[in-house]
Amino acid sequence: MIKSGFFERNLRYIFPLPALFFVLLLMVFPVAYTFVISFTDWALTSGRPMKFVGFSSYLGILKEPRFIDAFGRTFYFTIGAVVLEAVIGTVLALVLNREFVGKNGIKLILLLPLVSTPVAIGIVWNLFYDPTIGFLNYCLSILGLPQSGWVTDASTVLPSLIIVDVWQWTPMITLIVLAGLAGLSSEPYESAKVDGANSTQIFFFITLPMIMPTILTAVILRAIDALKTFDIIYAMTGGGPGYASETINIMAYKYSFEYFDLGSASAMLVFLFVLVLTASLGVMRLRKRFEA
Amino acid sequence: MKRVLVLLLMVGLCLPLFAGGQSEGTASEKPQEIRVLLANHPYGELLKQVIPEFEKETGIKVNVESLQESQLTQKLTTEFATNSSTVDVFMTRPLQEGLLFIKNGWYEPLDTYDFSDYPSNSVDIGRKNGHVYIIPLVTEWQVMYYRKDLFKAAGIEVPTNFTELEAAAKALTTDEVAGIGSRGKGGSAVTQLSSYLYNFGGLYLDNNVAVFDTPEAIEAFRYYGRLLGTYGPQGVTSMSWENLMPVFQAGKLAMWTDASVFYGQVVDPTKTQVPAEDVGIAKLPEGPRGDSPFIVVSWGMSISSKTKNPEAAMKFLDWATSKELAIQGMLSNITMARNSAWQNSEVREKMNPGLIETQAHAAQNGYPYDRPFMSSVGKARDLIGEVIIESIDTKGTSPKLEALAAEKTEAVNELLKADGEYGGN
Amino acid sequence: MKQSPVFRIFFPILLVLIIVPTLFPFLWMLLSSIKSQVDIISWPPKFVFHPTMINFYKVFREQDFLKYLINSSIVGVTSVALSLLMGLPAAYSIARFGQKRLAVFILVARLMPGISFLMPWYIVFSRLGLMDSYTALILSHILITMPIVVWVMSSYFEGVPRELEESAMIDGATQQLAFLRIVLPLSVPGVVTATTLSFIFSWNNFMFSQVLSMEKTRTLPIAVYNFMSYAEVDWGGVMAAAVAIMAPAIVLTMIFQKYVVKGLTMGAVKG
Repeated sequence: MIKSGFFERNLRYIFPLPALFFVLLLMVFPVAYTFVISFTDWALTSGRPMKFVGFSSYLGILKEPRFIDAFGRTFYFTIGAVVLEAVIGTVLALVLNREFVGKNGIKLILLLPLVSTPVAIGIVWNLFYDPTIGFLNYCLSILGLPQSGWVTDASTVLPSLIIVDVWQWTPMITLIVLAGLAGLSSEPYESAKVDGANSTQIFFFITLPMIMPTILTAVILRAIDALKTFDIIYAMTGGGPGYASETINIMAYKYSFEYFDLGSASAMLVFLFVLVLTASLGVMRLRKRFEA
Repeated sequence: MKRVLVLLLMVGLCLPLFAGGQSEGTASEKPQEIRVLLANHPYGELLKQVIPEFEKETGIKVNVESLQESQLTQKLTTEFATNSSTVDVFMTRPLQEGLLFIKNGWYEPLDTYDFSDYPSNSVDIGRKNGHVYIIPLVTEWQVMYYRKDLFKAAGIEVPTNFTELEAAAKALTTDEVAGIGSRGKGGSAVTQLSSYLYNFGGLYLDNNVAVFDTPEAIEAFRYYGRLLGTYGPQGVTSMSWENLMPVFQAGKLAMWTDASVFYGQVVDPTKTQVPAEDVGIAKLPEGPRGDSPFIVVSWGMSISSKTKNPEAAMKFLDWATSKELAIQGMLSNITMARNSAWQNSEVREKMNPGLIETQAHAAQNGYPYDRPFMSSVGKARDLIGEVIIESIDTKGTSPKLEALAAEKTEAVNELLKADGEYGGN
Repeated sequence: MKQSPVFRIFFPILLVLIIVPTLFPFLWMLLSSIKSQVDIISWPPKFVFHPTMINFYKVFREQDFLKYLINSSIVGVTSVALSLLMGLPAAYSIARFGQKRLAVFILVARLMPGISFLMPWYIVFSRLGLMDSYTALILSHILITMPIVVWVMSSYFEGVPRELEESAMIDGATQQLAFLRIVLPLSVPGVVTATTLSFIFSWNNFMFSQVLSMEKTRTLPIAVYNFMSYAEVDWGGVMAAAVAIMAPAIVLTMIFQKYVVKGLTMGAVKG
């Protein structure tokens, strides 16, 4: 059969078929299911069968201050983490964009945080952050600075989590931008030199604009994942203390698997998806501008 | 060559399919088999060890799984709700999911069981419309673990009321040691706050209406917050029993109020640096308006109403809740529900006298609930937890506390109404 | 760029500033895993101490880590294999027939929050009796690994010149045969990249395994997390567990470093 002409003529349909089928079954169906549930009031605790209530689950969570706070925190965490990662990552890439001994070694070292299990990373950082026996408080004490509660203190928990995210994912931006820099043509540089431009001008008017599309691509990739960050928050604080580190994703998890309030949880997830979509489209638009 | 590879892949594909699918048993021709779900709880651990004896005696094969408590509830709830369960017997928490499961008819009525050896209020929790659905297994009550040696060194007596408690906490707090610890982690702390609440004359629910915004309740919140915020270990608002126990075991806590069930682990020589003779158990000091710590059925056992093996399940249930096993549990410092277990002489000799005393006191004066008894108890606990955390964060001084408590009380009442459980009985 | 003397001094310093914070957590983790409990909780933190292997002993003996290791491996290998089986033809199709929409469709799987799949899966798998089965886990992991395969390989196939297949097809081979016999063998580097990267992501996955597996098919990340809540302050054991779980992924990365970097940056640079 595989040799037949029919197979060949319809290759463009047959080849993607298994993948398509799989995605339809395991992704589209559950997502559609979640979407539909978001229009019901299904809660396993009520003992009543579910009924369709239109947008009332959505309205319900919008009225819920806990959700609004989670929404805010999701933004705070994502923007904080991604901006830091973009800036630090780009700077690092610029610094490393030259030939030197051990360049491959550095790249390997940069890879290590990226391929580490987020849950394990969370645990190690929890030890660092431990107020009583943690290394970081020890450093603070040596420097004469006051001790911090890090992830056990509601006012410092989000920045502490952002630090962990930055530690883990900045290398990704660095590597991507580094690859981008390597691919830049040297023409603009040479003509700039001929025109007598100095390094600062070269950087701001040539390097940066040329590398922007790459940076923004990296930002899209990071932003998508950052908005959905789950593992490190769940492992390190579970959304606490109280709700201080609860993002939409964590809240949806609690509502699904602890409260069994599926109508509300589904509405939250739809919200999150719209957020992710909007963010990606927004940054993509921005990138188009730089490509022109 | 490629064909061979593809074939191998296909075969490899099919293998895992076989590995996973055996959990549905067809009970008819095969030797009897039951599926039992237990919790990661000392009694669950004990059962796991002795199940082979049951299997040998009865010839019934037991497929046992043990899960962490919230995972257990999650799994049972989802399986029952989607009609997909193959569970026969399971450990259950009457106060956490009892109401929900009874409401949905997921428990099998156990009317043929002999309940005479159990205190009546422990059986009542699992009773509805004249049927009983849960066999009480483990009871727990509020106690205060304390360091006898630290008290002696500081020359103070074990506190008997809240004023003395605060003074003792103050006296015992040093750079190394926190004077007192108790759960501060939001929803988890609700059960420990309860006894303090009752001793101040407050309640979570009164006749199924949320009332934890009364002046008495606010006093309790403030006291708890002040106590823990000032003399508690650092980061206490993220701590539940699994975080506090190691701190006590490391010798860094002078007093710890929590449930009686942890005693065995607290003095486990492989885990603790505090020798058993330095650990004392006292009742929670009385408050201005009450001396009624909680005493609850924390774990029970039930049969699924959808079981396909009712006789085998019943046999297992009888065995797992038997007098003999209860005594075994008691000898491992697990505080069982059966009356006879408490009167057994061997047990009385071995068991820590503090446990026996405090149990007697709680059995007489205690309150049978340690949390709001409702279906949406998870959400309610988190709501109340917010008030607790606010109080601890401000060492009990927060000006917003009354308003916050009122807001959360309102929210809990909404939950009760949504679940059809509001008001009256 | 000239190398001024100032620069010559600064650059190594910069390198050190990069290397130290990146590696320090790993170092601390390793050190802690061979410390005894007393040494770990001592203050100030110790750098000099008597090493002990008791934590690793605990992890592998008491916690049945071997079983979790095997589970993670089974799930990882099978889901990657199946992803390749389904993803390679799809990626080829996207590359050769310009099926951008299809590419986006498969990649949208990355945009969705994982939980939106989890509840429906939980319900369906419960109904089918597939909870705590390898089947359920593998299926869920394919949703992680396949988009990576498609993302990497569609870029890669675009870079393989069409002339090669075209000349084979002129000689009478069908396009699918050309794909199998010519394009694929040439694409081995890309496949290695896709395989390594997606295996690592499957290995590290927590959420899906947390919800869908119970005792029988528990994978490593879950086991580590359970270790953390049950024996909260057994830091030594927890660190040893962390070392054990991250070691394979790190070793793989060291061996396939080139491919991993390529995989992460591919597509991002081509735009």
